[in-house]
Amino acid sequence: MMGNISALAMSTFLETVRDRIFYLVGVFGFLMLSSTAILSPLTIGAQGKIMVDVGLAGMAIIGLLVVIFVGSGMVRKELDKGTILTILAKPVGRREYLVGKFLGLNLTLLTMLAIMGMIFLFMTFLAPGTFSLHFVKAFYLTFLELTLINAAVVFFSTSVSPILAAVFSLGVFLVGHMSESIRDFGQMQGDGFQQKMADVVYYMIPNLEVFNVRGAVVHGDPVTWQHLSMATVYGLGWTLLLLLLAGSIFSRKELRG
Amino acid sequence: MHLGYGTRVAWFPLNHRNNSTISRFQAFKSRGWVLSFQKVVTNEPGPAGPDFALSPVPTTGLKQTAEVCLGSSPPCLETVDALRVLDLSKSFRSGFLRKPIRGIDGVSFSVPRGRVFALLGHNGAGKTTTINCILDLVHPDRGQVNILGMPHGDCAVRSRVGYLPERPYFFEHLTGRELLNFYAKLLGVQDGDRNRRIGELSAKLGFESYLGRRLKKYSKGMLQRIGIAQALLGDPELLILDEPMSGLDPMGRREIRELLLEMKEQGKTIILSSHIVPDIEQMADTVAILREGRMVMIRDLADLGAGASFEITLDGNERMVAEDVEVLSETLVRSRHENRTVNRIQTRSTGLEDLYLSVHYRKEAVR
Repeated sequence: MMGNISALAMSTFLETVRDRIFYLVGVFGFLMLSSTAILSPLTIGAQGKIMVDVGLAGMAIIGLLVVIFVGSGMVRKELDKGTILTILAKPVGRREYLVGKFLGLNLTLLTMLAIMGMIFLFMTFLAPGTFSLHFVKAFYLTFLELTLINAAVVFFSTSVSPILAAVFSLGVFLVGHMSESIRDFGQMQGDGFQQKMADVVYYMIPNLEVFNVRGAVVHGDPVTWQHLSMATVYGLGWTLLLLLLAGSIFSRKELRG
Repeated sequence: MHLGYGTRVAWFPLNHRNNSTISRFQAFKSRGWVLSFQKVVTNEPGPAGPDFALSPVPTTGLKQTAEVCLGSSPPCLETVDALRVLDLSKSFRSGFLRKPIRGIDGVSFSVPRGRVFALLGHNGAGKTTTINCILDLVHPDRGQVNILGMPHGDCAVRSRVGYLPERPYFFEHLTGRELLNFYAKLLGVQDGDRNRRIGELSAKLGFESYLGRRLKKYSKGMLQRIGIAQALLGDPELLILDEPMSGLDPMGRREIRELLLEMKEQGKTIILSSHIVPDIEQMADTVAILREGRMVMIRDLADLGAGASFEITLDGNERMVAEDVEVLSETLVRSRHENRTVNRIQTRSTGLEDLYLSVHYRKEAVR
């Protein structure tokens, strides 16, 4: 079982890497350089903060683009072109297939975040008084958040078209960052129905603000180990749930050659 | 021939293997059963040693199986066919109203080990749906499939099956070697054997020098070869090939044909689908003709050519083929009802193409 999953993950990783996905890392490098060269002179005394802010946001957005646009078409492309038929005609379970594809894309994501993280650390190292190892905590939580989004993309791509899967996943990302505000808004209304609806949204959609420590890191606020471990459990729990649901749908899916 | 779940076997004590036994087998044969007077290799205790085996033509279904087994003693054992398909049906839903469209309906057949079995039918006849149902890539609405004595949903049996889909498409950014390595890992081929097997197959299929190239640079014929290679990687007992000659030039077709015949000589069972009659004639032992999702005929190719068919020329120079007297009679009656004039009836030897065409022209299924 693990052999099948690792073989599938490695082939997915090689496919995405060779599909020039890493050109996006160049975009990140450009973003970092431009934030240093163009934006920093405009913000007297806060150059370092701008660079860190733009860098961390850039990493998250580029990671999100990769996960959504590569992930949403990943399973569907293999379904449409029939690649999946030769794989599932081998002794490979459908759930193994999904997990392998998920891990392959996550490996690509991890590699990209690692390269972008190194560029980021190097740039902040060059800027006086900016460098901090706490940035690694922000990288880690960004990776966890995107892992969860990756699982959401896999979940949606087993049942809807790539475009809808991308739209729904983007919706989860956006609402996930607003779910606390939605719940607070519902409570402020005092109306029973609105409050219940806000609560439903809060519990149905993962709260992605748990993973957002970018503001705290920029301002030098502490990110505790307790927060990191809770976020890890929360993120992996949602990821597992989404993958289980995806597996359940996919195991009943008709694969027409 | 191995014993187990699958083909029905009639069991006759040695001292009963006389003329009356033979005549009973002949009677079965005349009712559409293919009989083989082989010794059955078995560890099962029998009352009197070696026995006769018979391989039924599966379209006869369970009722006739039970009939055949009546009176045999002990009642019956079952041998492992490479593939046994019983009453397989599948419909798909399509369009806004999700109207059901028939894919296949009541398809039944079995394939003894070591045989080449061909599914023949034009596009949309249900060949690929049948294969997809066999491999559990599509879940049938109804029916049973046993592969090498195991239910088709059992993941473990797939390591003993090689499959080539129609128009195979692979990861285009991987090299040929990487792709075959990937499939070999999925099949559980040991590290040491992997390179040797890939080398052997690529040499045999003529793409050894392309192994280091990415698949997006492969021609259609080359992709077909690598598709066949991935099907053969695990040294499968059963090969299922959906249009294996598709996209190949004449030289490539001959190479693949020779390879498949070599596989047959090694005792592999091959199921292949095609709409190209000469390919089937050159490779298959048995052919099943599908039309509009139904299996309308199963014939041993060895039996073809023994009889005669009739070419009927109607008014307007329309030609039809009737493969036996019964069909000829049916056609003549229909022509009379439709006020058509029969200009000429010519006898001709029956080939697969004639049989196929006659099935195509007939309105009612013949089983």
